[in-house]
Amino acid sequence: MLDRRLLIVSGKGGVGKSAVSAALGIIAARRGKRVLVLAMVGSTGLASHLGVDTLAYDPTRIRPGLFGMAVDRSHALDEYLGLQLHITRSLPTRQLSNALSVLADTAPGIREIITMGKPIFEAWSDKWDLVIVDAPPIGQLQSYLSAPQTITGLVPTGAVREQAARLETTLADPRVSSLVLVTTPEELAVQETREAIAEVDAGRQILISGVIANRVLAPLGIPQDAIAALPDSPARAAGLLHTGLVEAQALWLDAIPRDDRRLPFLFGFHTTGEVAARLADILEASV
Amino acid sequence: MRKTTRTVIVTGAGGVGKTTISAALAIRLAEPDRRTVVMTVDPARRLADALDLHSLSNEPSPVPGVPGLWASTLDATASWEGVVQRYADPDVAERLLENHYFRAIADRFPAAQSFAGTETMATMIETGSWDAIVIDTPPSAGGLDFFLAPSQTADLIGGKLLRWLTGAQLPGRRFLYRFTGKPLLKIADTVLGGALLEDVAEFLLDLRTMYDRLAARASTIQQHQRRATTLVVTTADPAPVAEVLRFFEELTDVSISPDAVLLNRALPLAWADAVGRPVRGIPNPEIRAVLKANLALWGGEARRQATAMEGLAGRYGVPLLTVPWVAEPPITVDNLSLLLDDVAGLDPIVGLT
Repeated sequence: MLDRRLLIVSGKGGVGKSAVSAALGIIAARRGKRVLVLAMVGSTGLASHLGVDTLAYDPTRIRPGLFGMAVDRSHALDEYLGLQLHITRSLPTRQLSNALSVLADTAPGIREIITMGKPIFEAWSDKWDLVIVDAPPIGQLQSYLSAPQTITGLVPTGAVREQAARLETTLADPRVSSLVLVTTPEELAVQETREAIAEVDAGRQILISGVIANRVLAPLGIPQDAIAALPDSPARAAGLLHTGLVEAQALWLDAIPRDDRRLPFLFGFHTTGEVAARLADILEASV
Repeated sequence: MRKTTRTVIVTGAGGVGKTTISAALAIRLAEPDRRTVVMTVDPARRLADALDLHSLSNEPSPVPGVPGLWASTLDATASWEGVVQRYADPDVAERLLENHYFRAIADRFPAAQSFAGTETMATMIETGSWDAIVIDTPPSAGGLDFFLAPSQTADLIGGKLLRWLTGAQLPGRRFLYRFTGKPLLKIADTVLGGALLEDVAEFLLDLRTMYDRLAARASTIQQHQRRATTLVVTTADPAPVAEVLRFFEELTDVSISPDAVLLNRALPLAWADAVGRPVRGIPNPEIRAVLKANLALWGGEARRQATAMEGLAGRYGVPLLTVPWVAEPPITVDNLSLLLDDVAGLDPIVGLT
């Protein structure tokens, strides 16, 4: 999972993508890799999971070997024009980037190419051994992964098309890139994970190197009816809630395809920084 | 006869249980003589089964077993087609519906699904045939987009790109030839290749002819939203709580004030208080030890929830109601109707006595 240069982490909104991205970054850095964890547009949770207030477009050092950054559209657009498309600065680039920023809202694929361009650009760089992307939720993942094909379909020539083709090759190369899906053992999250796997496999867009089930509750080892028979008390009520949830989760855990790693529900953690560090300790042995 | 419709908008971040709560609320409101409709967004399969929803359609269908209740699932593409047919001239409408960007926009513009939701809500209100309408909102921007979409959409169609290129007046189609002649656009054309920019500009130009009518529509939709009851659903997890705070801060700009915050998956604070006290009434020592340890975990979680909600409760003078965490996800009509039974203070807010 951590052996390639680019690792994209996605999943349904609210399942713990940012926590897992941060935890994987912590593990890789502990193993001596130079790691960049990068939050895509709209991801707000990564900074707090890394234990910092905010992340900027320039990589911030979190701990030895671990850096964090956040992609925002206007920076990404400027850099895309300058570095990737080699637009010369003598031209009225401000106006051009205004026009492109409206296009990015309108024409299919452009916005995704611009924002996906950044992590891939960083993955090509010698500065990092591993770039982890805290990606948009699974519902939008497909428009990011298929952006290169969308562009090549719409735009017959030009620099954007060439860049899109490079992006497509990088994502599809199983030696370079892989995708990890995070889910919780709940109906909607598992459904969306299954649909995403089917789509990614059908399009051969990127290798899926793992599915992580998050917030899994451990069985109590007491039959539910033994608890139900007790007189009412908070201990009984909490026991019934727990065993009921374990039962409901079991159904969906069975339905998760390629479910090779499970993370426990973490009780009583007050700060998100604690969560990522704890998850890193738990995942350490299995990635 | 036109009815006075009570509209309840259920909003909040993704994954907090908006759709389930919307369905439960609609079941609660529906009576044989109180025609109620719930518009859902992307319901889980088992919930869709319970409501007998099998495809996207803005046309409500009756829910089996609940007299007076209808349900629908938002079909954003159909809503947009309806908008174009209603607000564009016929020849423009035809061109737009055939344009390959049209579907892309309806699918991708971040506020597009939200705008479709607001348009469908307004259409339902205007039929005058419902006593109560419950609207589940798309999760985009933590539910904020549902309230910002009317003006954002009008702005988009107002043609930021076109205004920038051509000035304030609406240009004729001939302008496209002049416009591709500009050196700047030649560069854009080299970058983007082919005729992409021209295609998009032509498309935006067509959209822009709808601007006046659409802007008027947007302001009608906003009036409907201000008259509606707004419930914000959250859990005690940090991300949705942060979204709720952002929601309150940004909604004042559009003169919307939520009527209640619903904390979903809430744990009784009594569990937190019971941690550390002797556990009585469990004779078997093994079971007692396991349940005591388990209560310590869940009691700690209840304490964490209470701390997380301190920042929200009463902060904006809005009541905070709690929906208890239930082990069995409410997926049948019967379970759903029980979900909101013990939510103190909810009924008067949604107009039940």
